[in-house]
Amino acid sequence: MAQHDKSAAVACRQFEEDLVLYYYGELGGGERTAVDDHVRGCEPCRFYLKELESILPLTVKPDEPPQAFWDDYSREMRRKLADTSERKSWWQSLASFFQPWAIPVSATAAVAILALTLTLGKGFWAPKDVPQDDEAFMEILPAAENLEFFKTMEVLDAMDFLEDMGSPVKGSV
Amino acid sequence: MQPGDEDLVALARNGDHRAFEELVERHKQKAYRIAFDFARDREEAKDLSQEAFLRAYTHLGNFDGRSSFYTWFYRILVNVCLDYKRRKKRTFAEEFNETIENQVEPSQVSQKPPSPDQQVLAGQLSRKVGIALEALPPKQRTAFILKNNQGLSIKEIAEMMQTAEGTVKVHLHRAVTALRQTLAEFA
Repeated sequence: MAQHDKSAAVACRQFEEDLVLYYYGELGGGERTAVDDHVRGCEPCRFYLKELESILPLTVKPDEPPQAFWDDYSREMRRKLADTSERKSWWQSLASFFQPWAIPVSATAAVAILALTLTLGKGFWAPKDVPQDDEAFMEILPAAENLEFFKTMEVLDAMDFLEDMGSPVKGSV
Repeated sequence: MQPGDEDLVALARNGDHRAFEELVERHKQKAYRIAFDFARDREEAKDLSQEAFLRAYTHLGNFDGRSSFYTWFYRILVNVCLDYKRRKKRTFAEEFNETIENQVEPSQVSQKPPSPDQQVLAGQLSRKVGIALEALPPKQRTAFILKNNQGLSIKEIAEMMQTAEGTVKVHLHRAVTALRQTLAEFA
């Protein structure tokens, strides 16, 4: 490895980004030609490009796992997929219950059932054995009202009788 | 003629597990490599990529077909990797050292054992790379890994990161600048 200069090379500021793209082959025809022309006459940029060529490949760590690794990989993956799809189907059946349309439908059904229960069950839930006194009172009440009526009628009859007694006898002078 | 990814997605959505297994087979190596670039550990990369497949499987209903399955899935994968990085307590350097210890395989060992000087230098470089990558903000790290390690185009990265191509270029440039400054001594 060259030990010429421990500090990073300095390229022309306006070409720096293009030099990176140039290194990666990402510049189109015109831009590429412009960089080529510039690098030919600019030593710092030429040095910068060489530095990229020597540094950037060092950052790649090659890894070539053996065939046994890939066989294990596939086997493990199949097992994990089977586990996941098992969990998925269980979860999906539960989740299907909570579909967007199921929530308002369930809520409406619940409200309807509650309303029916309250309406039809009113008689059922109401206390059946009314206390004896109240029942008697309910029966007596209209009779008592009638009694008052008859009493009033008797008083009126009595008044008519007294009136008749106090008046002069018809035909006597 | 082999069915396309989108055909397999349609079958999987209708409950065909084998269709999704076929998607896993098609994308597992690339998914693993992206996860490895983030985690830099074989077992963790395996767990992260598998986690991404499982998330994709459970959320297949959300795939609307506006982008390709590939773009949609790798977006999930990158998010899983970034979440993992956020959660992770250990330092990147520790992880990287473990990775080195765990990953030496007979096929990868060179004929001539490295000299003590080379080992020291390789160790320093590994540590520096790990620390430098870890220090990058998540978007810069994502743009850098997808471009530098995976060779995706700026357009693909922009689709995956759901951002403008110009923004990806800025992230990439900033990431490269930061890495250059940290790794200049190894140039």
